[in-house]
Amino acid sequence: MPPSASTNLGYTPPDGGWGWAVVFGSFISIGFSYAFPKSLTIYFKEIQEYFSISYSEIAWVSSIMLATMYAGGPVSSVLVNRYGSRPVVIAGGLMVGVAMVMASFGTTILHLYLCVGVIGGFGLAFNLQPSLTIIGKYFLVKRPIANGLAMAGSPVFLSTLAPLNQFLFDHFGWRGSFLILGGVVLNCCVAGSLMRPIKIKTKPPVSKTTDENDTAKPDVTSQTAGQDKSKQSGCAAKVSQFIDISLFKHRGYLIYLVGNVLLFFGFFAPVVFLAPYAKHQGIDEYSAAFLLSIFALVDMFARPGTGLVANTKWIRPKIQYFFSFSVTYNGLCHLICPLLPGYSGLVVYAVIFGLAFGMVCALLFEVLMDLVGAQRFSSAVGLATIIECGPVLLGPPISGLLVDIFMDYKYMYYACGMMMLAGGVFLFIMNFYNYRLLEKEEKEKQVEDRLEIGSAKELAANEEDKDNEEKIRLNTEEEVGKSICEEP
Amino acid sequence: MPRPRRAQHCCRETALFSMANVRHLILLLLYCDGMNTETTPSPPSDPVFTTRKAVSKEVCFADWATISWHAGQNQVITEELAILTPQNIELLCNLTDIPNNPPNITGYWAKDGQEIENSEETVNRINEQYVLKKTFSIQARDLGNYSCIFRENKAQVTFVLDVPVIKDKRDKPVVSYTRDSVVLECKLKYTPNTWNWYKANNTEKIFNNGNRTKLTILNLSEEHSGKYICSAVFDIKPSESYIELKVLSYTEPLKPFIAIVVEVIVLVTLILLWEKCSKPQHDSSSAGENDVCSEQTTKLTRDESNGVENNTARRRKLDD
Repeated sequence: MPPSASTNLGYTPPDGGWGWAVVFGSFISIGFSYAFPKSLTIYFKEIQEYFSISYSEIAWVSSIMLATMYAGGPVSSVLVNRYGSRPVVIAGGLMVGVAMVMASFGTTILHLYLCVGVIGGFGLAFNLQPSLTIIGKYFLVKRPIANGLAMAGSPVFLSTLAPLNQFLFDHFGWRGSFLILGGVVLNCCVAGSLMRPIKIKTKPPVSKTTDENDTAKPDVTSQTAGQDKSKQSGCAAKVSQFIDISLFKHRGYLIYLVGNVLLFFGFFAPVVFLAPYAKHQGIDEYSAAFLLSIFALVDMFARPGTGLVANTKWIRPKIQYFFSFSVTYNGLCHLICPLLPGYSGLVVYAVIFGLAFGMVCALLFEVLMDLVGAQRFSSAVGLATIIECGPVLLGPPISGLLVDIFMDYKYMYYACGMMMLAGGVFLFIMNFYNYRLLEKEEKEKQVEDRLEIGSAKELAANEEDKDNEEKIRLNTEEEVGKSICEEP
Repeated sequence: MPRPRRAQHCCRETALFSMANVRHLILLLLYCDGMNTETTPSPPSDPVFTTRKAVSKEVCFADWATISWHAGQNQVITEELAILTPQNIELLCNLTDIPNNPPNITGYWAKDGQEIENSEETVNRINEQYVLKKTFSIQARDLGNYSCIFRENKAQVTFVLDVPVIKDKRDKPVVSYTRDSVVLECKLKYTPNTWNWYKANNTEKIFNNGNRTKLTILNLSEEHSGKYICSAVFDIKPSESYIELKVLSYTEPLKPFIAIVVEVIVLVTLILLWEKCSKPQHDSSSAGENDVCSEQTTKLTRDESNGVENNTARRRKLDD
């Protein structure tokens, strides 16, 4: 079994107890982060009429919010490294709340871009990263289940926010709804208050120099200094005080990044285009919306289910393969979608796509934790989200372009399927290679350790011998001395 | 705005559509090709045909569809036609392939369910088809549902003749706030002569552009609430739709907002308090800094007193 990078945590995570309350808090935070930008689209038509702008101008609000949420990853990581998860989540919740309240008084579309897009996006970024990080701090053995449960927040919140937004819109118009949503989003602060910084029993210090009493402020520099043998000069050293950029030398992390960039190009577009594709085939609006509900329902149960499966003793050691499998399965799903006929075919597609989508989402951050370990996770996820920002934002518009050029949805599905298949196959091959290399390194390390132990034992034995010799010498000297003294 | 005179010439064309192996009733309407006619795209389900209207006293209207009729079933097929100006319209129903193939059958026309007097005709079988047609002069009062019915097999097709309907209507009212502004909009597929808004006065701005109209109301107050009717004026009859406007004051959404904020504050305080209370029980090594709960304080005093006793005991020992 390849060495798990999380053994360098320095303490044993509780794996339960208050951890489940933390999972609930993460559930709420992650739910708001992913579902909130998508659910705002209900207001777009009225805002568009109110400001007399085109559809693409109003769609920018959602895009800016999503972009800032991903781009704010590194900022969030820096703050979490410094202050811990709880203050950052509470601050994030306050930011989004204030942003929505300010937006409800907006007079121009630029006002909305700034409030909802930029400030709201940063607030959501401050919610997403810390929620993921703190799961790694509280769980080790049951971590995949905890991750699966927390990530299930996204579909649950999307299914509740969508009808809630419609209800608010019908009764209060868009301004009143933004005001009330500002209040609803403040519940992220409740989630943040649940994220108690972990207090651990201190072990007698072994060979580490980190401050183990207070893991709410992990000392990243000494950790990295211990692990990173090469010297870092000047501004690289300064940057690494805030965020761990030595991650870019980590082989597994680089594989993860490349695989993610490939897969995110084709990840979200099929969800966005599911309903329009159904309508294009002549299906009425309500049945098309029902397809999305089926998809969300399957997704909701697939995420914790995948967490359970990933936790079993057969899958956990090779969880990277499981992730590659789910990405490949996703790609295959999209490739067969155009071949399925009629409404029943689309229902089948929605079910298997929901399963695939849930699997990938549940494992997305679990495999990252598995690769880099919980201590470096917050920096890792921050750097990963800012790199994923590009494909996430470009994916749906490029797919839309494909649809416009060919006037047919099937080429878009083929393209998305190919991208995900490419990502999945890449991850499979590279992870196979990575596992092999890790096993080799582990064997070499064991041999080294054994040699060290052997030589240490020899040294100790030598020392003992020397001591014994000394003692014998001293004794004989004493005896000689005594005998001399005793002679009259 | 006076309507420009349209020069027209009519030519007749017929089109037939048949599906093999299916008994079907075919609707055929003649259509005219003239200058300055308006062409509208057909509904998306039947991309094959187009409707064209011409402005004249001559018979011009064309629309056709394929309807499959199965023996023994009593299907009623409906076809919608948008009429913009008073005109003469010829409606034609074509029936093929009925059992027994009698040499002639009878058919009649009905308007809004009532049989039109003297409209019954005997239709001969020509080229294996039975063609029933009639010309109607349509004015504003003549708009309605016209049906051609064949007596023998009760096959029936209904043409709905009406002004274009303003679709895309909201069931729920538009909500806005006092001292805010709102935009109400009506849209159509065809361009009317003009648009009218009812319940309008000086503080509104009306913007008309072809097949859309927008009404902007500035500086709203509670009196602006109510029904607003947008009316598309056609030669034959205006087509109307209504939008309901509700003007609220800012205190309405403020109440749920404050309720939620209070709930959030209460929950956060409860959680943080509970954490402080339960902290010293778990953390035995720390000397409790924040004693909020009484249990905590008694525990502390007990610890302290133990410590004091120990010290004195130790001192006594040392002294020995």
